[in-house]
Amino acid sequence: MPKKILFIEDDEGFFNIFSVPLKMKGYDVVHVSDGALGVEKAISEKPDLILLDIVLPGTSGLDILKELRERPESKDAKIVMLTNFGSDENINKAMEYGANDYLMKYNIVPSELPDKIAILMGEASGAGIKVTQ
Amino acid sequence: MNVQIILNILVIVESLLLLVISITLFRKTSDFKKLKKYEEALIMFQANQNDVIPMLVHELRAPLSVVKGASDLLLKSTDEMNADQVRDLLAQIKSSSEGLLKMVGDILDVSKMEGGKFQISKVFGSLGGLLKEECAYFESLARVKEVSLSCATGENIPEFSFDPERVKQVMSNLLSNAIKFTPKGGSVEVIARHVDRIVEVVVEDTGIGVPEKDQPKLFHKFFQAGNQGGVTQKGTGLGLVITKGIVEAHGGKIWYEDNKPKGAKFIFALPLK
Repeated sequence: MPKKILFIEDDEGFFNIFSVPLKMKGYDVVHVSDGALGVEKAISEKPDLILLDIVLPGTSGLDILKELRERPESKDAKIVMLTNFGSDENINKAMEYGANDYLMKYNIVPSELPDKIAILMGEASGAGIKVTQ
Repeated sequence: MNVQIILNILVIVESLLLLVISITLFRKTSDFKKLKKYEEALIMFQANQNDVIPMLVHELRAPLSVVKGASDLLLKSTDEMNADQVRDLLAQIKSSSEGLLKMVGDILDVSKMEGGKFQISKVFGSLGGLLKEECAYFESLARVKEVSLSCATGENIPEFSFDPERVKQVMSNLLSNAIKFTPKGGSVEVIARHVDRIVEVVVEDTGIGVPEKDQPKLFHKFFQAGNQGGVTQKGTGLGLVITKGIVEAHGGKIWYEDNKPKGAKFIFALPLK
């Protein structure tokens, strides 16, 4: 059964360029563009990993991260922030709330995202978790 | 034309866009230098640059990242993709490039407005017809967001001279904002009325509205209501500045009112001449 990734991203362009290589590697990618729906889907879909943008309509990805960590159903989920906002304040908050990684969209080559995801999901070995700016 | 040729063209387009953006930003700096109140402008610029530059960088970087990412995927993995995936990525490059061009156009418009060089091209025509077209154009977006959109476009408005492309831009800015900030189940309404020698167009919604403290800054450059805590809204914050500039170039006025009990109401008035 393919591993499931929940992608919470309101920008269709970013969703397209990052979801194509993930789908090509066989991941089941579920897309949500609304933050509030993202929390619902994280509970109902039980994804293996969540890719989470920060600037979302109506709510912030950081608030979603905090909520997911506080809820028993999603407190252990693997959550990767995937954003173009790399301020120290956001990175520190994400780490404090328990993000597993913090990736900058403009720095990640889309075709290399599946390898990073595989490492986080324990499907491949890697250098560990870090903030990639 | 094969994919490699298309990609080469896109790389050239991307480079040209970067050049246009650089020139535009340079021109903007030059315009500042022409201001008599240079010192005042510089102080304001320095006060705002901590917020403005990261925001502008973010707004330019997002579509450029998409163009770069999609090009990279097409270069490396075309053989493994199906035709739909290739087409979707090419379409994405096109729409991101169009978004960048619009952003550059907006920056250029504001620069012209500040330098007193902004011009409109009036033609004699029907504003009611234009409003109907704009409402029809935004219907699909409203439907996707589950927001109801209605238009009472005033059948009795006489024809008069205005710049149709620029008034479309005004309506596009106001309608996209109204739909964007109105939650599912809400409504957006466009009303046009003719009073004496003036046409008033109202765009009202039942969305989040604008906090009282932010209302005086609504038509200020780079301002976006709701930015807080290091997380910002998307957009350059130039849409309403341009909207105001276009209305004023017609000899008109635009203002904001709360839409009681909830939401925002933008009203612009154009003279019938």
